Amino acid sequence: MDVLSIQNLNKKYEKFALKNVSFNMKQGTIMGFIGRNGAGKTTTLKALLNYVHADSGAIKIFDEDFSNNEFSTKQKVGFVSGGVNYYPMKKIKTITDVTKRFYKEWDEVAYEGYLKRFHLDPEKKVSELSEGMKVKYQLALALSHHAILLIFDEPTSGLDPVSRDDLLDLFITLVEEEQVSILFSTHITSDLEKCAGYVTYIKNGEILASTDKKSFVDAYRLVKGSSEQFSEAISKKLISFKKHSDGFSGLIRTENLPITGNVEILPADLESIMIYIEKE
Amino acid sequence: MKELMYKEFKLSMHPIAYIFLILSALLCIPNYPYYVTFFYTTLGIFFLFQGNRENRDVYYMMVLPIRKRDIVKARFYLVVCIQLAQVIACIPFAFIRGLIPLNNQVGIEANVAFFGLAFVMLGLFNLVFLTQYYKSGYKIGIPFVLSNVVIWIFIIIAETLDHIVSYMKTICESVTGENMIKQIPVLIVGILIYTAITILAYKKSADSFEKLDL
Repeated sequence: MDVLSIQNLNKKYEKFALKNVSFNMKQGTIMGFIGRNGAGKTTTLKALLNYVHADSGAIKIFDEDFSNNEFSTKQKVGFVSGGVNYYPMKKIKTITDVTKRFYKEWDEVAYEGYLKRFHLDPEKKVSELSEGMKVKYQLALALSHHAILLIFDEPTSGLDPVSRDDLLDLFITLVEEEQVSILFSTHITSDLEKCAGYVTYIKNGEILASTDKKSFVDAYRLVKGSSEQFSEAISKKLISFKKHSDGFSGLIRTENLPITGNVEILPADLESIMIYIEKE
Repeated sequence: MKELMYKEFKLSMHPIAYIFLILSALLCIPNYPYYVTFFYTTLGIFFLFQGNRENRDVYYMMVLPIRKRDIVKARFYLVVCIQLAQVIACIPFAFIRGLIPLNNQVGIEANVAFFGLAFVMLGLFNLVFLTQYYKSGYKIGIPFVLSNVVIWIFIIIAETLDHIVSYMKTICESVTGENMIKQIPVLIVGILIYTAITILAYKKSADSFEKLDL
């Protein structure tokens, strides 16, 4: 079953537009939503929750049309935004006391469990929490009302490498233990290497690819060669390239292979793919 | 709505709005423009909105399983609660003022008609401040200035009519029991106007807020 399906989402701003954004997400998967800053990741996620009104397009969550079922759907969705820092001077326990009343399925035992598991002190104010703890607190709230789709907006951006790794491990555990589905936006490609099974790539408001990570990476190859090997014919086949002192390197679509000349063809990694695609 | 109101009082309410209730005692000053008491009510509401903006209240609310309209409705209920609390807190002080045998030299007496006119003033504040605020969801300065221009114009008109219109001059400027009964229509009309324009303001605000991209 698709937990999330977005079809032809359009939203026009003065200087930016989401153009026919479409992708699907299967239950029990982790999907990384990747793109550089300003590519439209946050706008798409906001449209998913009605923060932003799309000009056209259809959003289905749990096979139900979201715009008609916003109220019931939000009971089952947890939205965690890395940067948002609401009510910084309130204690965690106060915010929880208010928040839990909105959810029919609130599970106090589970909540207490997550507090312990994440080492969260309910007496602490939000402003006293580290960035990683803030994400974990929001996660504890979302999981305690038994959200089955978790949407994260750049959850790892403000985290140190250890906390980031910790959070990504937690994602994997949650999918295994709680059968939740996770959609998270990021511009940090190593996050995807670690835990995402699926990748959706957005560039300038358009979806470039939405597929499983292996197929996505397999669709590209890195090309490396010396300055002498570089030719007009090669550059035409490449998505983009960089010249440096000892030669050149570039990215090519696997379907455009073979390539003339005795150049080195290497498997691509997500970071290189992102860098070269954005240079295109 | 019960949960939302709990949230409004527990997270959103600004303590200054409670503190300004004490300013109802301004009605005891023998010579004072009593409308100023309700200006402080509007100032308390301004601080409430400012606090909520700085606390990113909207982003907290948007994740909750609630309708966008209900966010506006709960806030209107809170504003009405603050305003009614101020009116109720003023009543005992108006009685105390009635015991002082001096006429107010700078404006209307703290009587029944005054409360009716104060309701109109608060309604006008709601109409301007809240509808202007919900157009953007974050701008509070200009809506507050505009709403205060409107309420101060209203105060000037009300005080002027108090000296020109004979019903106002003879009956509404009095604190005798007999005249205060005759002032009841002003109170009723005031409450009706307050209710009508606050409902209108809610509809307008909810419509604007629903269209907003946050």
